[in-house]
Amino acid sequence: MVLGYLTIGLPCGVMGASVGLKPWMCLLLSATFYSGAGQFMIPSMWAAGSPVAAIAASVALVSSRQALYSAAFAPYVKKASKFQTILFALFVTDESFGVNLDLFARGVDWTVAHATVTNLVCMASWALANLAGALLGSVVSLPVAILSFGMTAIFICLLAGQEESRSNVIAALGAVAGVVVCKLAGLSNVAILVGALVGVCAGLAFRGVTRH
Amino acid sequence: MSTQEFLFLYVAILATMAVWRCAPILLLRGRQLPERMESALGLIPSAAFAALVANDLIQPATLTSDPVAALVPLVAAAIVFIVARKTKSLVLCAVVGMVCYGALVYLAG
Repeated sequence: MVLGYLTIGLPCGVMGASVGLKPWMCLLLSATFYSGAGQFMIPSMWAAGSPVAAIAASVALVSSRQALYSAAFAPYVKKASKFQTILFALFVTDESFGVNLDLFARGVDWTVAHATVTNLVCMASWALANLAGALLGSVVSLPVAILSFGMTAIFICLLAGQEESRSNVIAALGAVAGVVVCKLAGLSNVAILVGALVGVCAGLAFRGVTRH
Repeated sequence: MSTQEFLFLYVAILATMAVWRCAPILLLRGRQLPERMESALGLIPSAAFAALVANDLIQPATLTSDPVAALVPLVAAAIVFIVARKTKSLVLCAVVGMVCYGALVYLAG
């Protein structure tokens, strides 16, 4: 994950610098907001002339899938204090969600403290890579599409590692269908959230039908 | 982007992200959840990962304008999936993915 963040964080920082974000802005965004999708969107939309309010609304919408991740962790933080829970939750993102949830679900000795350290190490690598990219600016030319496929590959690995149950397969297929429909309808900003929700509903419906 | 514009944007998206990330876990933790809700939470990983992968791989506009380019990530993803099933290694999947994707992009011209 750290390797992935380093390779994707660099071009993200470069893109931020290209629209006038100073290195401290890139570092602040990466260390607190900490979202690849959102941080890539900001310079893209700014370069396209979008007003700040529109950028804020779009980024907020794209980030809404974090609510699903947050809900998924709820069963595993019962023994943690409110402070520990908040500290852990504030630094969850797509990749650390996958790895931490996998470890929690396996029932190994994985605590909220372990998961929080994982989150913070990943965040630190992301933030430093962004800072480096912002400092390097346009000095280096990076194949962004190839590097970003590294992150896609990580998601594929996490998906492939899920329990092989029919309801999980139905949920995955439902999610794919939801994403496709959203993209065809021009709703790319909410495709991930809607797709995931459709997938969960499809999985639940399948369980309900097979139970009866 | 000016510092003022950045700070306005930053505060807005940070506040929203804090709500997305913290509200559900704080509201649901420690509660005895109905069976259906627990079932739904258990389905989130498969659904979310599939949605993330599909979002990256499927570009309907590219499929119609340049089918070969649209197939490149799908073929690379299939190779990664095989590697993932055999090795379960995140790093290996990332490296294989980038190498395959880069090679296919080069071959597709």
